[in-house]
Amino acid sequence: MRGNPKGTDAFWAGLALPGIVWLCLFFLLPFYVILCVALGTVDPIFQTPQPEWNPLAWNTRAFEFVFEGLFTSGAAFQTVFVRTFFYVLIATALSLLIAYPVAYFVARYGGRWKGLLLAGLIAPFFISYLMRMLAWINLLQDDGWVNDILVWIGILDAPRNWLDGRASSVILGLVYGYVPFMILPLYAFLDRIDRSLLEAARDLGASPFQAFRLVTLPLSIPAILAGIVIIALPMFGDYYTPNLLSGSPQTSMLGNEIYLYIKGGQQIPVGAALVVVLMLFLMVLMGYYVVSTARAQRRLGR
Amino acid sequence: MATFHPRESRYARREFLQRGAAGAFALSSMGTLLAACGGGNEGSFTPPELNIARPDNPVTHPLFDDNPMIASGLEPESGTLRIYNWNGYLWPRIKKDFAKEYGVKVEETFFETMDEAITKISSGAIDYDVFFPTTDRMSRLVIGKALQPLNHAYLPNLSKTVWPALQDPWYDKGSQYTVPYVTWTTGIGYRKDKTDSRPENYSNPYEIYWDEANKGKVYVLEDSRDAFGHMLLKNGITKVNTEDPDEIELARNDLMSLIDAVNVKYSTNDYTNLPGGLAWVHQMWSGSAVSAQYSLEEGVGPEALGYWFPEDGRGTIGSDMIAIPESAKHPVLAHHFLNYLLDEKHGYDNSVNYVGYQPPFVTLDPDRLVADGVVPPNLKTAIVRESDFDRGYEQTELTPTGQTLWQNAWAEFIAGAR
Repeated sequence: MRGNPKGTDAFWAGLALPGIVWLCLFFLLPFYVILCVALGTVDPIFQTPQPEWNPLAWNTRAFEFVFEGLFTSGAAFQTVFVRTFFYVLIATALSLLIAYPVAYFVARYGGRWKGLLLAGLIAPFFISYLMRMLAWINLLQDDGWVNDILVWIGILDAPRNWLDGRASSVILGLVYGYVPFMILPLYAFLDRIDRSLLEAARDLGASPFQAFRLVTLPLSIPAILAGIVIIALPMFGDYYTPNLLSGSPQTSMLGNEIYLYIKGGQQIPVGAALVVVLMLFLMVLMGYYVVSTARAQRRLGR
Repeated sequence: MATFHPRESRYARREFLQRGAAGAFALSSMGTLLAACGGGNEGSFTPPELNIARPDNPVTHPLFDDNPMIASGLEPESGTLRIYNWNGYLWPRIKKDFAKEYGVKVEETFFETMDEAITKISSGAIDYDVFFPTTDRMSRLVIGKALQPLNHAYLPNLSKTVWPALQDPWYDKGSQYTVPYVTWTTGIGYRKDKTDSRPENYSNPYEIYWDEANKGKVYVLEDSRDAFGHMLLKNGITKVNTEDPDEIELARNDLMSLIDAVNVKYSTNDYTNLPGGLAWVHQMWSGSAVSAQYSLEEGVGPEALGYWFPEDGRGTIGSDMIAIPESAKHPVLAHHFLNYLLDEKHGYDNSVNYVGYQPPFVTLDPDRLVADGVVPPNLKTAIVRESDFDRGYEQTELTPTGQTLWQNAWAEFIAGAR
């Protein structure tokens, strides 16, 4: 202000302050605490975690244990990590397949019902995640509605035990639990696409499908990536979905192992180390997201 | 896991009961302890001399000059009695009646895991008057001076109502710091209307878990000590607190063989999984078996439930306790409350109206509970008998090394890594 370039710079930099404070308070600080727990010990009497704040005294044993488990073929951590990765991959892909058409329909054809449709999409949020999963347990029971309907239609000859610990039930739970988070960013983005771009495409001879493939889809890539990031990150840490809808060791996810170690005992640092490793892995994914959205926007010439 | 029927929520705690188990150690000198505390990092940490309480190695806990018991003959304090407990582990009516009788207020705060509770108790941030710890943390709580010694002059009911064996338990000889609360066994629950498998039909009853007729309907408790415990007993190993890596590996391999055989599942919701039809065979706590009758599927009566525990009492058993934190602001009132819970009538009402698990009272035998209609006759096996404590196998604290062995073996089972 006052025409002083230096002062102006400081002013604009100052606007970033809330963001920086936010990052420090809610990301860097907790991350450092978890890191110090992972590199610390537990109290010899009460076995409460004793974070080691001093980097010079860090004890890397928990990380060695975790890495050994991650890089030994057939070991517990590796098995669970690979399984978690594939569950999240499949569940995210399915979510995208469901969310994109829904968001597209609401954005393009919702008309004056848009508000109502959007409210309907958000409605599942009003019920707690746990309650919705408990409802699925009822629906998927031997004599639940899912079996009733599938038998009635004739897809199944006899009721199937969906809750006997199968991956498909866990993936279904993940998709159901997280798909609204995918719809919202997609909707917000698709709704903003300038109709005149599509009209121009049609005017220039593109078929409706070509207009979608060459205009709408490329424009929505950043939104697709955002949706993927928003749902994939929490899925990686999920442990109650496999617990509730399966409970079988064959479907447990990384969150189950973290929970097991972190909730008490002599090896809390191992649980914390698992958290740190998972966070680093997700940060790599986040980095890819940032790079590819930047690239997508550059390509679109913004 | 956070949602439970109010009657049942307490059972979830067992999930945490023994998992965090750790060595009870009596230190030979305070110097060692201070050195251990000051050391901080594991490299320089020398484990103090361990003296683990076991049924065959009872421990008399040390008393400390700076942690004295209250004097006799004091008047109970006025104000608010603050209770720190598992959720759903105390009949609300008991609190109301006690408050009325003593002209005080009673306030109960809940914790989810023993680790959470110990963190708060040991930090001294909140002053609770009554606390419900588990036997596997006894020595740590005593050495950390988190509990205060009890003055038995205020606890006449202890010798009046409680089984003699639990008046002087192995984990706290002389009941210096704790009084018993309720008892439990770990057995096998099954649905008579769904499956023909019966533990008693097997020469080795634990083999019922492998019956492929129940594929997808077999559960073990989500508790390393209980799940591995039954695997050890199946192999004739009665040391349910073993720290022998070979025996733990044997138990783990047996448990993992259940994945292929019946796609075994793990859960602590035994009290709903079995009556709700998710499970036909379920490793189960005795109190869950008693409570399962309230969660049965429509049109199914309690006679459909079965609970097996070795007739001769040679199975896994345990007991829970009540104590007074060192930092209690109303210690005299707290003593009165402990005595109140040990009263024959109050303990009975608390158990049959709400808690489900039975207090270790001499007047409470299986026949009486069946006759009173509290427990269906077919679940009489879920009632803990005094004699069970003569022959049963009690899960105790493990050394930190043993604890790590158990936890890692359990992590491998949970991962389903084969």
